[in-house]
Amino acid sequence: MAMAGPWAMTTEAADRLALAQLLSPGFPVGGYAYSQGLEQAMVDGSVRNAASLAAWVAAVLRSGTGRMDAIFLAHARTGDLDALADLAFAYAPCAERAAEMRDQGAAFGQVVARLTGVAPPPLPYALAVGHATRGMALQTPEILALWLHAQAAQLISAAVRFLPLGGADGQAVLASLSPLILQLAASCAQASLDDLASAGFAADLAAMRHETLEVRIFRS
Amino acid sequence: MDVRSGRNMLDTTHPPRMQRSRGTAMVAFHHARGATRLADLAMAGSAKVMLPRVPGDVPEVVLLNTSGGLTGGDRLSFQLQIGAGCRVLATTQTAERGYAALGVPAQVLVRASIGAGARLDWLPQETLLYQDAHLERRTEIDLATGAECLLAESLVLGRQAMGETLRSATLQDRRMIRRDGRPVWADSFYLDGGVLADGSAALLNGARALAVVCLVAQGAEDAVGPVRAVLGDGAVSGWDGRCIVRLCAPDGWPLRQQLAQVLRILTGRQLPRVWQGGGFP
Repeated sequence: MAMAGPWAMTTEAADRLALAQLLSPGFPVGGYAYSQGLEQAMVDGSVRNAASLAAWVAAVLRSGTGRMDAIFLAHARTGDLDALADLAFAYAPCAERAAEMRDQGAAFGQVVARLTGVAPPPLPYALAVGHATRGMALQTPEILALWLHAQAAQLISAAVRFLPLGGADGQAVLASLSPLILQLAASCAQASLDDLASAGFAADLAAMRHETLEVRIFRS
Repeated sequence: MDVRSGRNMLDTTHPPRMQRSRGTAMVAFHHARGATRLADLAMAGSAKVMLPRVPGDVPEVVLLNTSGGLTGGDRLSFQLQIGAGCRVLATTQTAERGYAALGVPAQVLVRASIGAGARLDWLPQETLLYQDAHLERRTEIDLATGAECLLAESLVLGRQAMGETLRSATLQDRRMIRRDGRPVWADSFYLDGGVLADGSAALLNGARALAVVCLVAQGAEDAVGPVRAVLGDGAVSGWDGRCIVRLCAPDGWPLRQQLAQVLRILTGRQLPRVWQGGGFP
């Protein structure tokens, strides 16, 4: 049995609702403000339509930040949070991503404190979410699936705001990613910290170049 | 992805291979009589250490794998101990070649411990991956209080001059820098057939040559401005005592040219002689 987190509900159905709330776009962590380098790729023109967006998001989930954060989240359900936080910040590919992890984690923690009356430890975002799910009677793959889905939705939402791409087209991209999300949720739930690895070199490069983008609507 | 770290090298499920090479080398420096001096040196198998005479007060360590490349089952390990107050530059004699490895990976381990106030510049020449290469490399650097390190590693995928396009190769390249036992920078890059085939702009994005550079030092972020001024197809970011550079290029040569400019700024020195001997710009 995992150590109880701030969310100690009693039934699976109630926990599922709580998880949906934590990961909903309305949960005020400022997710709309970040693009994780996608804005740079859109400025460059390498992401410009539904097809190139779907390819970008799928690659980031499968081989980049998506799977890294999912593995961190899974470990935060049971592991040593201080050591995990050090490791997560060490893996930050650039200053803006480090700030994003830290600031979203802090915002998440503040709302959790308001809802539960217990202030959680300051943690990078994925770990903060993992910690909040400690007491939930839900299996890790289910949590990771919803997390990955929310991450994908956030990137797609950034693209819908930036590109000439309709909201329904964005939803079609998101729906097309479901099989990948479920497969990743299952594999990342089993992964060890030694499995942390990324092939997202160009995405990291874009996130770094974003720091000098003169006209920008996103913070990363 | 194919993650096989910690694989038992005595694994008998793979067919025996006749010529697995083994190499292990250790070199240690200490600060004595006002200078960085060799304290210990040990070599076995295909791992060699050379200490060429160089001008100035920063010793150069040149590591060499005499087996001429890495294939399945090869194991190579280098260990560097940089005592308090020392400054050392370490590099490799040539590019390391990862050849086809059927079934079992080649494993390379590079470990460095850097004492208080010491600095290591770890600037190996590039790693060339050939078709069906399978390489697992681990680079672990431990910094004591006030220690600094600069790491620069490049990867070239196939030889463009030979018209090669890499379609199948596996790489696990894990890098970890700790200070006083706590991780401060980690970068684990992996490559497999799926990544090589990926058509998105997020992974390799058509690059055949990649480099990552990391300076961990108090005030490292101050280097961001000067580095940014010389960057081509690359980017730099600095925060919390780190300066990270990523570079990509269509092939190894233009990558070397970019990397040379960045390293001149981050080392404040000429590049290692063995690099120049290899036709370095």
